Amino acid sequence: MRGSLLINLALVLVSGTATAWAEDFAAYLAPAPVTDGTRAVITGQGRAEVRLDGNQLTISGSFHGLASNASAAELRSGNGIGVPGDKLFDITASPGRDGGLSGTVSLSPAQLVQLRHGHVYVQVDSQGAPGGNLRGWLLPPHPFAGEDVPVKGHGFLPQLDVPQK
Amino acid sequence: MRKAILAATCASAALTAAALAQSKAPGPFALSQAIEGQAAYQGACSACHGKDMKGAGEAPALAGSNFMGAWGNRSVADLYNMVKASMPYGNGNSLDAATYRGIIAYVLAQNGAGFGPTPLTGTEAVKISAIADGKGPAQMESIPHAVPSPPPAAERPATAYPPGRFGLIVPGEVKEYRPVTDAMLTHPADGDWLMYRRNYQGWSHSPLKAVNTANVKDLQLVWSWAMNDGGASEVTPIIHDGVMFLSNTANTVQALNAATGELIWENRIGPAPTRAYGATRSLALYGDKVFVPTTDAKLYALDARTGKIVWQTRIEDGREGYSNTGGAIVVHGKVLVGLTYCNRYEEKHCFISAYDANTGKVLWRFRTVALKGEPGGDSWNGLPDEFRQGAETWIAGTYDPETNTTYWGTAQAKPWTRATRGTAGGADLYANATLALDPDTGKLKWFYSHAPGESLDLDEVFERVLVDHGGQKDLLTVGKVGVLWKLDRVTGKYKDSAQTVFQNVYTSIDPRTGIPTYRQDIQDAKVGEWVSSCPGPAGGHDWPATSYDPDTDLMLIPLHQSCVLMRGNPLEKKIGPAATNAGSQQLFEMPGTDGNLGRLAAYNTRTMKAAWSLQQKAPFLTGVLTTGGGVAFVGDFDRRFRAIETRTGRTLWKTRLTTSVQGHVVSYEVNGRQYIAVETGLGGGSPVAKPTTLLRDVHHPGNGNAIFVFALPEK
Repeated sequence: MRGSLLINLALVLVSGTATAWAEDFAAYLAPAPVTDGTRAVITGQGRAEVRLDGNQLTISGSFHGLASNASAAELRSGNGIGVPGDKLFDITASPGRDGGLSGTVSLSPAQLVQLRHGHVYVQVDSQGAPGGNLRGWLLPPHPFAGEDVPVKGHGFLPQLDVPQK
Repeated sequence: MRKAILAATCASAALTAAALAQSKAPGPFALSQAIEGQAAYQGACSACHGKDMKGAGEAPALAGSNFMGAWGNRSVADLYNMVKASMPYGNGNSLDAATYRGIIAYVLAQNGAGFGPTPLTGTEAVKISAIADGKGPAQMESIPHAVPSPPPAAERPATAYPPGRFGLIVPGEVKEYRPVTDAMLTHPADGDWLMYRRNYQGWSHSPLKAVNTANVKDLQLVWSWAMNDGGASEVTPIIHDGVMFLSNTANTVQALNAATGELIWENRIGPAPTRAYGATRSLALYGDKVFVPTTDAKLYALDARTGKIVWQTRIEDGREGYSNTGGAIVVHGKVLVGLTYCNRYEEKHCFISAYDANTGKVLWRFRTVALKGEPGGDSWNGLPDEFRQGAETWIAGTYDPETNTTYWGTAQAKPWTRATRGTAGGADLYANATLALDPDTGKLKWFYSHAPGESLDLDEVFERVLVDHGGQKDLLTVGKVGVLWKLDRVTGKYKDSAQTVFQNVYTSIDPRTGIPTYRQDIQDAKVGEWVSSCPGPAGGHDWPATSYDPDTDLMLIPLHQSCVLMRGNPLEKKIGPAATNAGSQQLFEMPGTDGNLGRLAAYNTRTMKAAWSLQQKAPFLTGVLTTGGGVAFVGDFDRRFRAIETRTGRTLWKTRLTTSVQGHVVSYEVNGRQYIAVETGLGGGSPVAKPTTLLRDVHHPGNGNAIFVFALPEK
């Protein structure tokens, strides 16, 4: 059983095919790249949670504190964690400064690989920042221990697709 | 009378030309705004950006082709918003809106924009390239309304402190001063802190044990001392036999009774801070002298007993922008210093140099840039020598007495991006390298290039920490990208590495050579293209130094978690312009950190495995101090100063100080009592500027350089 699970996992990682069980991902949504000059416009934060069941991705989430109303939201993918890239899908964002995110999409095998490598991110646009107001990369859930609370080990997310050495 | 008016307005020549220029479409500002803006610029901006707006150091050019390259395609409103939010450096939004509008009007005028009938509001969407060409203002005509300019900033005393007078302001004498010997530097007394990181090996560790994990909760403030404001302050107090030697901005040095805070003598060497950086990170002691590498690139020897100047010498010409902020180290009676802000296209290059401690005579120089025809000279893609810049040494080196070798890190090549530099993937030797030098001759023993082809303003300049593991003589260092490197310090061979923070810059590190491979889009990026970098230019690791605890073999590393989109801007290949700032940056939070910019991590230096780590919203801004009592100390952006258990990272005690806790924590002993000293400081470069952009709900006062000294209650 253990062996077949490992084989199954390996197949998923290598080929990007769907799995028989659900996987969870989460994103902390923070202001998209800002300068001192744009930080009054690009405000807010939020959270998104994703469940991947087969190749069906279901997203839910919320945001608050935008400086202007949300105008769109997308799933996007670049060529690395933290690397912006192209739009994959539109998702739904409530048209307010505070609101919710939702959507269900089907991922291709290539998109599954991108998701599992941490390349896929959620972007919320606003009227004041139509090119991106909030962003967050979808990564395995990673609870924060809390301020002042040490954890054993390095405590940052695995690099997923970036070897350490 | 008319002559008198003309004379009074003579210094306003640059403005008048600009204000009357009508070479392009009228600019969206009124003449009166530009006139007022000139005075405001000279008072608030010219100290960093220069009277001629060519920029210097980290302050970008505000006029000419380099400014237009960075800003031509952006709007006047963008420029106004940026300047208003972030300037003057470290004190954004501290001027009134009309003053900001005037400054923008003046900058536009200096880039060839003409005035118009409508005053600037700061909301103008017009592209700067549509109204200005960067070719300078048109012909000067008379200007009856011009206001006299104040004297140039470099000649004025700082407006806050010190108030104008320089020299030995407070005479006094350190009684029974014992000259510092080579033996003292090699084997420092437990109660002393004689150099930057206390010992030659760069440990930032005190063996004192009176303060321990059980009693640290009882620490209390013993004394405090306000220091000069007006410039970056990241200092290390130096302590010998109960006397604290303290460097302040304006190259002011004070001797204080380290137990009571009583001032013994004060020498304000000067000049007043004229740039964003203001105080050397460390003084050095040897014999009966205190050595002061100054921010205007001079080296002074003061009499440690009296503070009087014994000798002074010029390291480089500070008027050209050179500076020393990295402190000094003394080896065999030679004062070794680095040099920074070697970032202009010119014939000269950066170097490490040594001076006779008795006389100030220069003994050797090692140029940190390999020129054409020299070993390593083929690593700059054939660039003419004058375009090979950077490789500064803005952190003092360390020293191994057993092998008689001094180790220095170098900064990245300039300009920042390889596309703007034109160096392709070359190693740009000796940028971003470890240099092993003979301290007696300055001869290079070996070098190791950590980041060949660096392109993202990610320095590897920081402390080289020397640790022995049995017979293994290791050198450890960590740079902005956050990779902890381990080298054989005898041969310079790569031994191991470990990531200390998330990074997406390297896709691999060769396990045999340690040579990293950059992400493909970083390699391919052209001038003007944005690329993502995690960490960004605040690090990973930056100047807040590591500490090595020999009792646990742990290295405690302050780290920063943010990313940047970075773009190389075009830069004219000609002698003169400031080079480093041919880049634009946009910051964002690091994925997976949930907005926690601060990270503190402990790594076992034998295994290179992380023992523990913690995260918090505010970045850490002090070097770490570990002690023989098993307690480590560190301070942060949010005014907190805390003690943690070295072995576990558990917080044992914390207090809140007056502003950002910044600098280097030290511990010393006087009359059997252990003290912990820490600075609150402003400025601080990227580790402060980047969080200031990203953190919206963490604030600290914009003044308050000071020293705070803690101890256990007296029995």
